[in-house]
Amino acid sequence: STCSCGCGFQISDEEQGYDLDLFCIPKHYVNDLERVYIPHGLILDRTERLAREIMRDMGGHHIVALCVLKGGYKFFADLLDYIKALNRNSDRSIPMTVDFIRLKSYCNDQSTGEIKVIGGDDLSTLTGKDIIDTGKTMKTLLQLLRQYNPKMVKVASLLVKRTPRSVGYRPDFVGFEVPDKFVVGYALDYNEYFRDLNHICVISEAGKEKYKA
Amino acid sequence: MMMMRRRRMMAADFLQIPDDEKGYDLNLFCVPKHYEEDLESVIIPHGLIMDRTECLARNIVEDMGGLSPVVALCVLKGAYKFFADLLDYIKALNQNSDQSVPLTVDFITLKSYRNESTTDVKVVGEEELSALTGKVSTFSIADIVETGRTMETLLSLLNKYNPKVVKVVSLLVKRTPRSCGYRPDYIGFEVPDKFLVGYALDYNEHFRDLNHICILSESGKEKYRK
Repeated sequence: STCSCGCGFQISDEEQGYDLDLFCIPKHYVNDLERVYIPHGLILDRTERLAREIMRDMGGHHIVALCVLKGGYKFFADLLDYIKALNRNSDRSIPMTVDFIRLKSYCNDQSTGEIKVIGGDDLSTLTGKDIIDTGKTMKTLLQLLRQYNPKMVKVASLLVKRTPRSVGYRPDFVGFEVPDKFVVGYALDYNEYFRDLNHICVISEAGKEKYKA
Repeated sequence: MMMMRRRRMMAADFLQIPDDEKGYDLNLFCVPKHYEEDLESVIIPHGLIMDRTECLARNIVEDMGGLSPVVALCVLKGAYKFFADLLDYIKALNQNSDQSVPLTVDFITLKSYRNESTTDVKVVGEEELSALTGKVSTFSIADIVETGRTMETLLSLLNKYNPKVVKVVSLLVKRTPRSCGYRPDYIGFEVPDKFLVGYALDYNEHFRDLNHICILSESGKEKYRK
Protein backbone atom coordinates (compact mmCIF):
# COMPACT_ATOMS: atom_id res chain seq x y z
CA SER A 1 0.00 0.00 0.00
CA THR A 2 1.27 3.45 -0.84
CA CYS A 3 2.16 5.84 1.96
CA SER A 4 -0.35 8.68 2.16
CA CYS A 5 1.09 12.13 1.85
CA GLY A 6 0.70 12.67 5.58
CA CYS A 7 4.12 11.06 6.21
CA GLY A 8 6.34 12.92 3.85
CA PHE A 9 9.87 12.11 2.80
CA GLN A 10 11.64 11.21 6.04
CA ILE A 11 14.95 12.86 6.82
CA SER A 12 16.50 11.09 9.79
CA ASP A 13 17.92 12.72 12.90
CA GLU A 14 21.40 11.44 11.94
CA GLU A 15 21.28 13.02 8.49
CA GLN A 16 24.34 15.26 8.06
CA GLY A 17 23.47 16.78 4.74
CA TYR A 18 25.96 17.52 1.96
CA ASP A 19 29.18 19.49 1.75
CA LEU A 20 28.61 23.02 0.45
CA ASP A 21 31.36 22.55 -2.15
CA LEU A 22 29.27 20.01 -3.99
CA PHE A 23 26.65 22.63 -4.86
CA CYS A 24 26.26 26.17 -6.17
CA ILE A 25 25.75 28.60 -3.29
CA PRO A 26 25.65 32.40 -3.44
CA LYS A 27 29.11 33.69 -2.61
CA HIS A 28 27.76 35.95 0.12
CA TYR A 29 26.57 32.94 2.18
CA VAL A 30 29.57 30.69 1.85
CA ASN A 31 30.70 31.15 5.48
CA ASP A 32 27.22 31.32 6.95
CA LEU A 33 26.07 27.79 6.25
CA GLU A 34 27.04 24.43 7.67
CA ARG A 35 25.71 21.95 5.07
CA VAL A 36 23.19 21.61 2.26
CA TYR A 37 20.35 19.71 3.81
CA ILE A 38 17.76 19.38 1.05
CA PRO A 39 19.04 20.26 -2.43
CA HIS A 40 16.79 22.42 -4.59
CA GLY A 41 16.26 19.76 -7.25
CA LEU A 42 15.08 17.29 -4.63
CA ILE A 43 12.62 19.88 -3.31
CA LEU A 44 11.23 20.25 -6.84
CA ASP A 45 10.96 16.51 -7.44
CA ARG A 46 9.07 16.01 -4.19
CA THR A 47 6.86 19.01 -4.94
CA GLU A 48 5.99 17.57 -8.33
CA ARG A 49 4.67 14.46 -6.62
CA LEU A 50 2.70 16.48 -4.06
CA ALA A 51 1.03 18.32 -6.94
CA ARG A 52 -0.20 15.04 -8.34
CA GLU A 53 -1.52 13.88 -4.94
CA ILE A 54 -3.30 17.20 -4.42
CA MET A 55 -4.99 17.10 -7.80
CA ARG A 56 -6.13 13.57 -7.15
CA ASP A 57 -7.62 14.47 -3.75
CA MET A 58 -9.18 17.82 -4.46
CA GLY A 59 -12.17 16.38 -6.26
CA GLY A 60 -12.81 18.75 -9.12
CA HIS A 61 -14.07 21.84 -7.31
CA HIS A 62 -12.71 25.30 -7.83
CA ILE A 63 -9.54 25.61 -5.79
CA VAL A 64 -8.30 28.69 -3.96
CA ALA A 65 -4.57 28.35 -3.34
CA LEU A 66 -3.64 30.43 -0.33
CA CYS A 67 0.01 31.36 0.11
CA VAL A 68 1.30 32.12 3.58
CA LEU A 69 3.97 34.78 3.07
CA LYS A 70 6.82 35.22 3.17
CA GLY A 71 8.36 31.82 3.78
CA GLY A 72 5.78 29.97 1.70
CA TYR A 73 6.29 31.93 -1.51
CA LYS A 74 8.77 29.63 -3.27
CA PHE A 75 6.97 26.42 -2.37
CA PHE A 76 3.69 28.05 -3.41
CA ALA A 77 5.03 29.18 -6.79
CA ASP A 78 6.67 25.85 -7.58
CA LEU A 79 3.76 23.72 -6.35
CA LEU A 80 1.32 25.73 -8.41
CA ASP A 81 3.53 25.43 -11.46
CA TYR A 82 3.34 21.66 -11.19
CA ILE A 83 -0.44 21.76 -10.65
CA LYS A 84 -0.79 24.02 -13.70
CA ALA A 85 1.28 21.59 -15.75
CA LEU A 86 -1.11 18.80 -14.78
CA ASN A 87 -4.07 21.01 -15.62
CA ARG A 88 -2.94 21.71 -19.15
CA ASN A 89 -1.84 18.16 -19.90
CA SER A 90 -4.78 16.06 -18.86
CA ASP A 91 -8.38 15.61 -19.83
CA ARG A 92 -9.73 17.23 -16.76
CA SER A 93 -8.56 20.48 -15.31
CA ILE A 94 -9.51 22.38 -12.19
CA PRO A 95 -9.74 26.19 -12.14
CA MET A 96 -7.53 27.80 -9.53
CA THR A 97 -7.40 31.30 -8.11
CA VAL A 98 -4.68 32.52 -5.79
CA ASP A 99 -4.41 34.64 -2.69
CA PHE A 100 -1.70 35.78 -0.31
CA ILE A 101 -1.75 36.37 3.41
CA ARG A 102 0.77 37.11 6.09
CA LEU A 103 0.58 35.81 9.64
CA LYS A 104 1.91 38.14 12.29
CA SER A 105 2.37 36.97 15.83
CA TYR A 106 2.04 39.55 18.52
CA CYS A 107 4.92 39.21 20.94
CA ASN A 108 3.66 39.93 24.41
CA ASP A 109 5.31 38.71 27.61
CA GLN A 110 3.83 35.25 27.49
CA SER A 111 4.34 34.64 23.75
CA THR A 112 0.83 33.22 23.48
CA GLY A 113 1.14 32.57 19.78
CA GLU A 114 -1.76 34.89 19.04
CA ILE A 115 -1.72 35.40 15.33
CA LYS A 116 -3.13 38.13 13.16
CA VAL A 117 -3.86 37.51 9.51
CA ILE A 118 -2.94 40.36 7.20
CA GLY A 119 -3.91 40.73 3.61
CA GLY A 120 -5.89 38.44 1.41
CA ASP A 121 -9.08 39.34 -0.38
CA ASP A 122 -12.31 39.36 1.48
CA LEU A 123 -12.07 35.84 2.86
CA SER A 124 -15.83 35.36 2.59
CA THR A 125 -15.21 34.63 -1.07
CA LEU A 126 -13.77 31.35 0.18
CA THR A 127 -17.22 30.07 1.08
CA GLY A 128 -17.98 26.93 -0.87
CA LYS A 129 -14.49 26.56 -2.33
CA ASP A 130 -11.65 24.18 -1.69
CA ILE A 131 -8.51 25.67 -0.18
CA ILE A 132 -4.94 24.50 -0.14
CA ASP A 133 -2.79 26.34 2.31
CA THR A 134 1.00 26.42 2.21
CA GLY A 135 3.13 27.66 5.09
CA LYS A 136 4.23 27.23 8.65
CA THR A 137 1.73 28.20 11.33
CA MET A 138 -1.56 26.47 10.94
CA LYS A 139 -3.96 26.11 13.80
CA THR A 140 -5.06 29.73 14.10
CA LEU A 141 -5.33 30.09 10.36
CA LEU A 142 -7.52 27.02 10.09
CA GLN A 143 -9.88 28.34 12.75
CA LEU A 144 -10.15 31.58 10.84
CA LEU A 145 -10.82 29.88 7.54
CA ARG A 146 -13.50 27.62 8.96
CA GLN A 147 -15.58 30.67 9.88
CA TYR A 148 -16.17 31.19 6.17
CA ASN A 149 -17.48 27.69 5.53
CA PRO A 150 -15.36 26.56 2.62
CA LYS A 151 -16.32 23.19 1.17
CA MET A 152 -12.96 21.66 1.92
CA VAL A 153 -9.76 22.96 3.54
CA LYS A 154 -6.46 21.20 3.07
CA VAL A 155 -2.98 22.17 4.13
CA ALA A 156 0.22 21.46 2.25
CA SER A 157 3.47 22.12 4.04
CA LEU A 158 6.87 21.68 2.50
CA LEU A 159 8.43 20.75 5.84
CA VAL A 160 7.17 19.25 9.08
CA LYS A 161 9.56 19.22 12.02
CA ARG A 162 9.90 16.38 14.46
CA THR A 163 9.91 18.34 17.66
CA PRO A 164 8.65 17.88 21.23
CA ARG A 165 7.12 21.35 20.85
CA SER A 166 4.69 20.04 18.28
CA VAL A 167 1.00 20.50 19.08
CA GLY A 168 0.28 17.31 17.23
CA TYR A 169 -1.09 18.98 14.14
CA ARG A 170 -0.36 17.19 10.85
CA PRO A 171 -0.90 18.85 7.46
CA ASP A 172 -2.75 16.90 4.77
CA PHE A 173 0.22 16.99 2.39
CA VAL A 174 3.82 16.93 3.62
CA GLY A 175 6.95 17.39 1.54
CA PHE A 176 9.66 16.38 4.02
CA GLU A 177 9.67 15.42 7.66
CA VAL A 178 12.82 16.86 9.18
CA PRO A 179 14.70 16.78 12.50
CA ASP A 180 14.56 19.68 14.93
CA LYS A 181 17.29 21.79 13.33
CA PHE A 182 17.13 25.42 12.26
CA VAL A 183 16.98 25.31 8.48
CA VAL A 184 17.15 28.18 6.01
CA GLY A 185 16.82 28.68 2.27
CA TYR A 186 14.12 28.19 -0.37
CA ALA A 187 12.39 31.28 1.08
CA LEU A 188 12.84 30.18 4.71
CA ASP A 189 14.73 32.89 6.54
CA TYR A 190 16.84 33.71 9.55
CA ASN A 191 15.98 37.33 10.36
CA GLU A 192 15.05 37.91 6.70
CA TYR A 193 18.37 36.49 5.40
CA PHE A 194 18.76 33.35 3.30
CA ARG A 195 15.49 33.71 1.42
CA ASP A 196 17.68 34.17 -1.68
CA LEU A 197 19.24 30.73 -1.34
CA ASN A 198 17.67 27.92 -3.34
CA HIS A 199 18.74 24.86 -1.33
CA ILE A 200 17.51 24.19 2.18
CA CYS A 201 20.57 24.38 4.41
CA VAL A 202 21.65 24.26 8.04
CA ILE A 203 22.95 27.60 9.24
CA SER A 204 26.43 27.76 10.81
CA GLU A 205 27.29 29.32 14.18
CA ALA A 206 29.06 32.10 12.32
CA GLY A 207 25.93 32.71 10.29
CA LYS A 208 23.73 32.84 13.38
CA GLU A 209 26.05 35.38 14.95
CA LYS A 210 26.45 37.51 11.82
CA TYR A 211 22.74 37.85 11.10
CA LYS A 212 21.53 38.08 14.70
CA ALA A 213 18.64 40.51 15.12
CA MET B 1 5.63 68.27 -5.79
CA MET B 2 7.44 64.96 -6.05
CA MET B 3 9.89 64.76 -8.95
CA MET B 4 9.47 61.59 -10.95
CA ARG B 5 12.76 60.09 -12.08
CA ARG B 6 12.74 59.49 -15.81
CA ARG B 7 15.13 57.04 -17.34
CA ARG B 8 16.82 57.58 -20.68
CA MET B 9 15.60 54.78 -22.91
CA MET B 10 18.29 53.00 -24.89
CA ALA B 11 17.67 51.05 -28.05
CA ALA B 12 16.51 47.46 -27.55
CA ASP B 13 15.35 48.08 -23.98
CA PHE B 14 12.31 45.90 -24.39
CA LEU B 15 10.85 43.31 -26.73
CA GLN B 16 8.22 45.11 -28.76
CA ILE B 17 5.00 43.34 -29.72
CA PRO B 18 3.35 45.25 -32.55
CA ASP B 19 -0.26 46.42 -32.58
CA ASP B 20 -1.22 44.07 -35.38
CA GLU B 21 0.23 41.00 -33.64
CA LYS B 22 -2.48 38.36 -33.69
CA GLY B 23 -0.68 35.85 -31.50
CA TYR B 24 -0.47 32.09 -31.93
CA ASP B 25 -3.26 29.58 -32.31
CA LEU B 26 -4.19 27.93 -28.97
CA ASN B 27 -3.86 24.50 -30.55
CA LEU B 28 -0.14 24.96 -30.91
CA PHE B 29 0.32 25.10 -27.13
CA CYS B 30 -0.74 23.40 -23.90
CA VAL B 31 -3.54 25.40 -22.30
CA PRO B 32 -5.72 24.34 -19.32
CA LYS B 33 -8.87 22.68 -20.59
CA HIS B 34 -11.07 24.97 -18.53
CA TYR B 35 -9.86 28.01 -20.50
CA GLU B 36 -10.04 26.64 -24.03
CA GLU B 37 -13.12 28.68 -25.00
CA ASP B 38 -12.09 31.81 -23.13
CA LEU B 39 -8.96 32.82 -25.00
CA GLU B 40 -8.37 34.30 -28.43
CA SER B 41 -4.71 33.40 -28.90
CA VAL B 42 -1.36 33.02 -27.17
CA ILE B 43 0.48 36.30 -27.53
CA ILE B 44 3.59 35.66 -25.38
CA PRO B 45 4.40 31.97 -24.82
CA HIS B 46 5.71 31.03 -21.36
CA GLY B 47 9.12 30.00 -22.64
CA LEU B 48 9.61 33.39 -24.28
CA ILE B 49 8.66 35.10 -21.02
CA MET B 50 11.33 33.02 -19.26
CA ASP B 51 14.02 33.78 -21.83
CA ARG B 52 13.35 37.50 -21.68
CA THR B 53 13.25 37.38 -17.86
CA GLU B 54 16.63 35.65 -17.81
CA CYS B 55 18.10 38.57 -19.70
CA LEU B 56 16.42 41.15 -17.45
CA ALA B 57 17.99 39.34 -14.49
CA ARG B 58 21.43 39.73 -16.02
CA ASN B 59 20.88 43.45 -16.69
CA ILE B 60 19.66 43.98 -13.15
CA VAL B 61 22.55 42.11 -11.53
CA GLU B 62 25.04 44.11 -13.59
CA ASP B 63 23.49 47.31 -12.22
CA MET B 64 23.01 45.95 -8.68
CA GLY B 65 26.74 45.58 -8.07
CA GLY B 66 27.33 48.47 -5.73
CA LEU B 67 23.81 48.72 -4.41
CA SER B 68 23.75 46.22 -1.56
CA PRO B 69 21.62 45.63 0.48
CA VAL B 70 18.84 45.13 -2.02
CA VAL B 71 15.17 44.65 -1.26
CA ALA B 72 13.12 43.01 -3.99
CA LEU B 73 9.54 44.16 -3.56
CA CYS B 74 6.81 42.09 -5.18
CA VAL B 75 3.63 43.89 -6.20
CA LEU B 76 0.93 41.29 -5.55
CA LYS B 77 -0.93 39.55 -6.91
CA GLY B 78 -0.24 39.93 -10.63
CA ALA B 79 3.55 40.06 -10.33
CA TYR B 80 3.96 36.93 -8.21
CA LYS B 81 5.04 34.68 -11.11
CA PHE B 82 7.35 37.25 -12.69
CA PHE B 83 8.83 37.99 -9.26
CA ALA B 84 9.49 34.31 -8.48
CA ASP B 85 11.01 33.61 -11.91
CA LEU B 86 13.07 36.82 -12.04
CA LEU B 87 14.49 36.13 -8.60
CA ASP B 88 15.30 32.56 -9.56
CA TYR B 89 17.42 33.86 -12.45
CA ILE B 90 19.07 36.45 -10.21
CA LYS B 91 19.84 33.74 -7.63
CA ALA B 92 21.32 31.57 -10.37
CA LEU B 93 23.67 34.40 -11.32
CA ASN B 94 24.49 35.02 -7.67
CA GLN B 95 25.48 31.42 -7.03
CA ASN B 96 27.50 31.06 -10.24
CA SER B 97 29.72 34.08 -10.31
CA ASP B 98 32.49 35.65 -8.32
CA GLN B 99 30.32 38.39 -7.00
CA SER B 100 26.93 38.14 -5.48
CA VAL B 101 24.50 40.65 -4.08
CA PRO B 102 22.41 39.71 -1.02
CA LEU B 103 18.71 40.10 -1.57
CA THR B 104 15.82 40.24 0.84
CA VAL B 105 12.23 40.04 -0.30
CA ASP B 106 9.01 41.76 0.58
CA PHE B 107 5.45 41.85 -0.66
CA ILE B 108 2.91 44.60 -1.08
CA THR B 109 -0.55 44.66 -2.61
CA LEU B 110 -1.84 47.54 -4.72
CA LYS B 111 -5.54 47.42 -5.42
CA SER B 112 -7.03 49.80 -7.92
CA TYR B 113 -10.65 50.73 -7.59
CA ARG B 114 -12.34 52.18 -10.58
CA ASN B 115 -14.98 54.78 -9.82
CA GLU B 116 -16.87 56.83 -12.41
CA SER B 117 -14.15 59.30 -13.15
CA THR B 118 -11.06 58.25 -11.20
CA THR B 119 -8.92 55.30 -10.38
CA ASP B 120 -8.00 55.07 -6.71
CA VAL B 121 -5.09 52.96 -5.64
CA LYS B 122 -5.17 51.36 -2.22
CA VAL B 123 -2.04 49.96 -0.64
CA VAL B 124 -2.10 46.88 1.60
CA GLY B 125 1.01 46.12 3.58
CA GLU B 126 2.45 49.60 3.85
CA GLU B 127 3.59 48.91 7.45
CA GLU B 128 6.17 46.54 6.05
CA LEU B 129 7.80 49.35 4.11
CA SER B 130 9.03 51.00 7.30
CA ALA B 131 12.07 48.71 7.02
CA LEU B 132 13.10 50.58 3.88
CA THR B 133 15.52 53.11 5.32
CA GLY B 134 18.03 55.26 3.52
CA LYS B 135 20.46 52.35 3.36
CA VAL B 136 18.60 49.98 1.10
CA SER B 137 18.14 49.85 -2.64
CA THR B 138 14.66 48.82 -3.69
CA PHE B 139 13.67 47.02 -6.83
CA SER B 140 9.91 46.91 -7.25
CA ILE B 141 8.69 44.09 -9.44
CA ALA B 142 5.41 44.67 -11.27
CA ASP B 143 3.46 42.72 -13.87
CA ILE B 144 2.15 45.47 -16.13
CA VAL B 145 2.22 49.25 -16.44
CA GLU B 146 -0.75 50.73 -18.28
CA THR B 147 -1.72 54.25 -17.23
CA GLY B 148 1.25 54.39 -14.88
CA ARG B 149 -0.85 55.72 -12.05
CA THR B 150 -0.42 52.66 -9.84
CA MET B 151 3.34 52.90 -10.23
CA GLU B 152 3.31 56.60 -9.42
CA THR B 153 1.40 55.83 -6.23
CA LEU B 154 3.91 53.14 -5.31
CA LEU B 155 6.86 55.40 -6.02
CA SER B 156 5.59 58.30 -3.90
CA LEU B 157 4.99 55.78 -1.15
CA LEU B 158 8.52 54.38 -1.39
CA ASN B 159 10.10 57.81 -1.57
CA LYS B 160 8.54 58.62 1.80
CA TYR B 161 11.00 56.16 3.35
CA ASN B 162 13.96 57.56 1.43
CA PRO B 163 15.68 54.40 0.26
CA LYS B 164 19.04 54.89 -1.44
CA VAL B 165 17.70 53.68 -4.75
CA VAL B 166 14.22 53.17 -6.17
CA LYS B 167 14.00 51.12 -9.34
CA VAL B 168 11.05 49.48 -11.05
CA VAL B 169 11.02 46.34 -13.16
CA SER B 170 7.86 45.61 -15.13
CA LEU B 171 7.28 42.53 -17.25
CA LEU B 172 4.88 44.40 -19.55
CA VAL B 173 4.30 48.01 -20.58
CA LYS B 174 1.19 48.82 -22.59
CA ARG B 175 1.16 51.24 -25.48
CA THR B 176 -1.96 53.19 -24.62
CA PRO B 177 -3.17 56.79 -24.96
CA ARG B 178 -4.21 56.55 -21.31
CA SER B 179 -0.57 56.38 -20.23
CA CYS B 180 0.67 59.21 -18.02
CA GLY B 181 4.10 58.83 -19.57
CA TYR B 182 5.77 56.84 -16.79
CA ARG B 183 8.37 54.29 -17.96
CA PRO B 184 9.90 51.65 -15.62
CA ASP B 185 13.68 51.21 -15.41
CA TYR B 186 13.54 47.69 -16.79
CA ILE B 187 10.89 46.42 -19.23
CA GLY B 188 10.28 42.89 -20.48
CA PHE B 189 7.83 43.46 -23.30
CA GLU B 190 6.01 46.44 -24.77
CA VAL B 191 2.53 45.32 -25.75
CA PRO B 192 -0.53 46.62 -27.64
CA ASP B 193 -3.60 48.00 -25.88
CA LYS B 194 -5.44 44.68 -25.63
CA PHE B 195 -6.75 42.87 -22.55
CA LEU B 196 -4.03 40.37 -21.68
CA VAL B 197 -4.32 37.51 -19.18
CA GLY B 198 -2.12 34.70 -17.92
CA TYR B 199 1.24 34.33 -16.13
CA ALA B 200 -0.51 35.67 -13.00
CA LEU B 201 -2.30 38.52 -14.82
CA ASP B 202 -6.00 38.16 -14.20
CA TYR B 203 -9.45 39.03 -15.39
CA ASN B 204 -11.57 39.18 -12.23
CA GLU B 205 -9.17 36.76 -10.52
CA HIS B 206 -9.37 34.21 -13.34
CA PHE B 207 -6.51 33.18 -15.64
CA ARG B 208 -3.77 33.51 -13.03
CA ASP B 209 -3.38 29.73 -13.40
CA LEU B 210 -2.44 29.98 -17.08
CA ASN B 211 1.25 30.06 -17.90
CA HIS B 212 1.24 31.81 -21.29
CA ILE B 213 0.17 35.42 -21.76
CA CYS B 214 -2.93 35.37 -23.93
CA ILE B 215 -5.55 37.64 -25.44
CA LEU B 216 -8.93 37.29 -23.75
CA SER B 217 -11.80 36.31 -26.06
CA GLU B 218 -15.23 38.02 -26.08
CA SER B 219 -16.84 34.88 -24.69
CA GLY B 220 -14.21 34.80 -21.95
CA LYS B 221 -14.93 38.42 -21.03
CA GLU B 222 -18.63 37.66 -20.86
CA LYS B 223 -18.24 34.41 -18.91
CA TYR B 224 -16.05 35.83 -16.15
CA ARG B 225 -17.66 39.24 -15.92
CA LYS B 226 -18.30 40.26 -12.29
